[in-house]
Amino acid sequence: MKLIQATQSRLLFQLGYREERLLLHILGLYPCVPPAHRQLSKGGRLPEPEANQRLLDEALAEHRADNKKQLQALLADQRRFEHTETGARLSLSPAHVDWVLQVLNDVRVGSWVLLGSPEEMAVDLNETTAPHFRAMEMAGYFQAQFLEALGGEM
Amino acid sequence: MVATATPEIQPGVVQTTEDKPKSGLEPGYLVICWNDPVNFMDYVTHVFQVVFGWPRKKAEFHMLQVHEQGKSVLARESMEKAEHYVHQLQKYSLHATMERDE
Repeated sequence: MKLIQATQSRLLFQLGYREERLLLHILGLYPCVPPAHRQLSKGGRLPEPEANQRLLDEALAEHRADNKKQLQALLADQRRFEHTETGARLSLSPAHVDWVLQVLNDVRVGSWVLLGSPEEMAVDLNETTAPHFRAMEMAGYFQAQFLEALGGEM
Repeated sequence: MVATATPEIQPGVVQTTEDKPKSGLEPGYLVICWNDPVNFMDYVTHVFQVVFGWPRKKAEFHMLQVHEQGKSVLARESMEKAEHYVHQLQKYSLHATMERDE
């Protein structure tokens, strides 16, 4: 994946065929973070903790549903995601990149949670863990590319 | 947190000593970001910039606190505002919570 053009309002990426397939696969895993993973407070000394936790859960569920819709729209929009003979060209505004980063990070963190939230990344790979580990690493790969591209814009 | 290019593990803290909160509207709630081994350092910096509107230097300062000390207090706010920030940070899948400042 390569940034081939960057302006204030648009970033254009070239993806190889395999990268395109991988990106689509990774984005298709969204949402990945289990809802129960998110806690509003560690100390639990907030007023009405259950009601406030419920508010967070609802806000995140709504956000996830919106993201899912946006994601489908993005992938169907040929002006943004144009298939070429060798892969695809992805045209995004910096705001869109920020949003894609959010989606990718959900997949990365969610995969890590599914791996048992290991403190060390040296995961014992087997049939169950390998797909999560691969998704975590691949989401990280694309995040790194997008973050690098955004670096010049911020 | 991890450095962006190499997905490795790295951790981060901040301590604050402020007056006790008096009501839900007074700034008596801390917004804290906790370290984890999965979020990239550059990503965390980016999120702090977006959510708080901070310049890169300030965002990096807090990111490094998380990384090196295990957590960073990002803001001290009223309950409503603290809750808002935690919601925003969690939308980016950062490990953020709000705690009563006592």
